[in-house]
Amino acid sequence: MTYDLAVIGAGPAGASATIEAAKAGLDTVLIDEQRAAGGQVWRAKGPAIKAAPATPEGKTGDRLRAALAAVTADRHFSARVWDIERHTDGFRISAISPTGALTIETRAVLLAGGAQERVFAVPGWTLPGVIGLGAATALMKEQLVLPGNRVIVAGVGPLLSFVAHEIIRNGGKVAAVVDLNPLSVWLRCLPDLIGSPGLLVRGAWWRLRLWAAGVAYFHECGIRSIEGDRAVSRVTIGAVDANWCPLGAATQTYDADAVCLGHGLAPATEASRLLGADHQYDGGQGGWKPVTDDVGRTTVPGLFVAGDGAGVQGAAAAQLQGRISALAIAEDLGLLTTREWRRRSAPLILRIGKAQRFGRAMTALTIPRPGLIEAIAPDTLVCRCEGLSRHDIEAEIRAGANWPNAIKSGTRCGMGPCGGRYCTETVTELACRITGKTPGEFGIPTARPPLRPVPIGCLSGEFDYDDLPIPPPAPL
Amino acid sequence: MSQAFDIAVVGGGILGCATALRLAEGGMNAIVIEKSDLGQGASGVNAGTLSLQIKRVKLMPYALRGWAKWQAMGAAIGFHQTGGISLAFNQREADLLQERMTMKAEAGAPITLISGRDARAREPGLSDRVVAASWCPQDGHANSSLTGQYYRHQLRDARIAIREHCPVTKIDQTDRGFVLHGYGETIHARRLLLACGGWLKGVAALLGVDLPVRARVNTVSVTERGPRIMNTVVGHATGLLTMKQKTNGTVLIGGGWQGRGSPMNGRGLVDRDTLIPNLCLAQYAVPEIARLRVLRSWTGFEAHVPDFNPLAGALPGTKNAFVLGCVRGGYTIGPYISELMGDLILGRDPEMPLFDPSRPFDIETATRRIL
Amino acid sequence: MQHRPRIQKGVSRAATVRFVIDGIELDAPAGESLAAALMAAGIGTIRHGPMDGQPRSVFCLIGLCQECLVEIDGMQIEACRVNVSAGMQVNRLRPMDPIKP
Ligand SMILES: Cc1cc2nc3c(=O)[nH]c(=O)nc-3n(C[C@H](O)[C@H](O)[C@H](O)COP(=O)(O)OP(=O)(O)OC[C@H]3O[C@@H](n4cnc5c(N)ncnc54)[C@H](O)[C@@H]3O)c2cc1C
Ligand SMILES: Cc1cc2nc3c(=O)[nH]c(=O)nc-3n(C[C@H](O)[C@H](O)[C@H](O)COP(=O)(O)OP(=O)(O)OC[C@H]3O[C@@H](n4cnc5c(N)ncnc54)[C@H](O)[C@@H]3O)c2cc1C
Ligand code: FES
Repeated sequence: MTYDLAVIGAGPAGASATIEAAKAGLDTVLIDEQRAAGGQVWRAKGPAIKAAPATPEGKTGDRLRAALAAVTADRHFSARVWDIERHTDGFRISAISPTGALTIETRAVLLAGGAQERVFAVPGWTLPGVIGLGAATALMKEQLVLPGNRVIVAGVGPLLSFVAHEIIRNGGKVAAVVDLNPLSVWLRCLPDLIGSPGLLVRGAWWRLRLWAAGVAYFHECGIRSIEGDRAVSRVTIGAVDANWCPLGAATQTYDADAVCLGHGLAPATEASRLLGADHQYDGGQGGWKPVTDDVGRTTVPGLFVAGDGAGVQGAAAAQLQGRISALAIAEDLGLLTTREWRRRSAPLILRIGKAQRFGRAMTALTIPRPGLIEAIAPDTLVCRCEGLSRHDIEAEIRAGANWPNAIKSGTRCGMGPCGGRYCTETVTELACRITGKTPGEFGIPTARPPLRPVPIGCLSGEFDYDDLPIPPPAPL
Repeated sequence: MSQAFDIAVVGGGILGCATALRLAEGGMNAIVIEKSDLGQGASGVNAGTLSLQIKRVKLMPYALRGWAKWQAMGAAIGFHQTGGISLAFNQREADLLQERMTMKAEAGAPITLISGRDARAREPGLSDRVVAASWCPQDGHANSSLTGQYYRHQLRDARIAIREHCPVTKIDQTDRGFVLHGYGETIHARRLLLACGGWLKGVAALLGVDLPVRARVNTVSVTERGPRIMNTVVGHATGLLTMKQKTNGTVLIGGGWQGRGSPMNGRGLVDRDTLIPNLCLAQYAVPEIARLRVLRSWTGFEAHVPDFNPLAGALPGTKNAFVLGCVRGGYTIGPYISELMGDLILGRDPEMPLFDPSRPFDIETATRRIL
Repeated sequence: MQHRPRIQKGVSRAATVRFVIDGIELDAPAGESLAAALMAAGIGTIRHGPMDGQPRSVFCLIGLCQECLVEIDGMQIEACRVNVSAGMQVNRLRPMDPIKP
């Protein structure tokens, strides 16, 4: 059978879209690699957790999961989408689920794959004990395990105070919060935040609690180095200037056994790039994002994007975007009249502006600045998978490899199993600095399947040799 | 006032770059113009198999003579001589293998036919379903990803001008040669070599020449690093599998299974319907590979003409213009045939005959053959 | 590495099961992610950087970075995407042997 709509990702955007689409009468299927809906922000607790105190994120997630359970739509969890192809008049999606290979045909696709964390290298960041800021949220929300016993929380953006707050709320100890931004940037974006008072109050509350708990919070400060023998044991920090460049000598060294490090989020564009949609660079929305109209239509007919994958704007906006896109898809497929589309989408469109303003203001705090590169020592690894240092990458660029694919081919940077997710941003900044290009001019490496690593044995399944469609041999 | 080059080479793949090097050696002032990066076409994305067992009989002498070039390039291009085994899983394939490998051996390749058991003795990871095999100690592989890096250094050392990210979109002929127009650039050259792989047809059309070039869309996949499961280049009687484990533990799987798309209307795409059988065949040959995860599958365009022989000579009807392309197994044979081509352009006598692009092509039969 | 504390306040977990990593027996609540269980057990190094040989451990916790790769039943899999079950046998990856000449 062919679905009307396949939604990839069951975070705020994808789950809300599925509910809206199902209500509009679309034959909808929802796929997510996690065990339950909720996405990164409202992730469900893992199966080991039988009971735990309620949290705001947990409650919102539970409401969303309950609403999703109430609609008629097929769903596949723990299913990783590894390929999406344009196929006849629609799309063909390939996934690997616990029960085996899954093939889904659909007229329209809504990509709601969210964002991925952006972590720029600092000396020592590959030591065990250093995890992403987003990783820390996942660990605490899903597994209810703390990232360490004495934690340094460092980087930029709103996740800093959230992570630090979660650690102390759950009885852990934060050695210090190290924020590259000055406090004034928060004050400057206040006008954009006022429209979402609930979120603003929560953010302020986290800061207040950190202050009350006596947690040191350093603004205009960055990590100089992380040290330890086989695991984190010391973290040295120092002041930075307005460009986040290290300023003067290091100021403090902390004993710590964990570092949560993050520099914002970037839209996960691998699927939209694989499908050949046009993309543009917008630092204010996390970097490369698909070109879309107001309702999430990409340049590929039938392909829509909603949520952080369309430009990082946060969960509140993601939810509304997902619903708006679902309605637009229903109208495009002729399952909703234009009048009905207007009636249902109007209240959502009215609300989305405020949510987007808030989300964009948060993302703007994390736009990369030159200091992120300044903080990387020549021998610091930039590409974790292939063990390549800043020096290795820069040597290749100086030798004339001035574009993403050329750097990748020459060094293997980005060819490893993470698919370049944790080095592409750094390489972009390094290359732009040497070549004078902007990230938009520099571009982004080509996306190819599989979107996630897949075991050959899962793809081949049970097969009969004689059934393999082996073509005739090449001419002798 | 822009300077005139002795020759402009359009296309920075292995054929264009290696020919430019020969021309510079011969004293010509050359420029290589590439629409993306050097070695991002077929030459940089191919499976890197340097296997005599999959070379065409007619091209075997070229592959054999070119072997020394790969040995000389060595580590800079990731060259490894490992030997190679081609497999047959049933009697039909065994017959095919015997017929094909005998002819290739007669053409000079050191190929011997061996039993399935001998094959497993050489390569213990092979499946026990192998009924017959062939062995060639001279087979090996190189790292095609390094093509761009390698030639960028070579061209620079030879003081050959390079223009990357400069697609040639218009070529004017004047009494003094050619004027090429690219990305905001105008380049003057007395001679011209078209070495633009799968894009040859479109670029030749800029000069009003119709070359019967088509492109195949070959698929290659790479796995994550894994424990060592094989040491040689493993192939199949039909040629539809090439597989080897690199020094870093990743396994590269190719064989020319067809993806979708064409050079002229954009990029090539992996087709799940051919990718999966390609992987099944690999797994059938070396069962352990089922445990490894594929990290990336991609495609590249491989050009050919109806008789599947190279185009290597003067561009039909265009003075001082040449074409080099459509070389089957063109990665293996590239460095050598490019030297011959360079010699031809330099007015020397090539050591081996080349392949006149003005020869007649029987397009009808060829179409039937590839279908 | 020091063990990572499991949050206790108001939390109840599934019954503990025993699993084995490289011959070391460890206990964790059934269904906890293997990555979290290893962190809680104070296992610092999950693998070594394939090129630099340096110790590595969980980094993204959402199945993307591949730093937590282990071997279970002969398959390489991310520890952050596997749940602990009774009797599970986990092996850490061994460094690669070089190609034979
Ligand atoms: C690691 C991480 C942690 C974060 N933590 C917080 C937080 O604590 N608080 C906060 O406000 N914001 C957080 N964010 C930001 C937050 O994700 C977004 O603002 C919000 O969740 C966006 O919603 P979304 O629906 O667009 O995407 P997401 O919530 O990210 O949902 C995307 C979903 O798509 C699924 N998916 C993606 N690709 C595939 C595939 N190929 N196959 C199958 N499924 C796939 C994912 O499993 C995921 O569930 C975090 C982001 C990240 C990356
Ligand atoms: C996937 C695949 C696997 C293969 N596996 C093997 C193998 O294992 N062993 C083997 O021996 N052979 C293999 N081959 C064949 C081999 O790769 C090719 O024969 C060889 O690389 C061709 O070299 P080339 O220089 O002619 O083409 P290319 O490398 O494609 O170079 C042509 C260049 O011209 C450029 N160009 C095109 N149009 C323009 C323009 N208008 N202006 C400027 N530049 C332009 C292109 O960007 C390209 O870089 C394989 C081919 C493919 C596609
Ligand atoms: S920690 Fe990144 S994949 Fe498991």
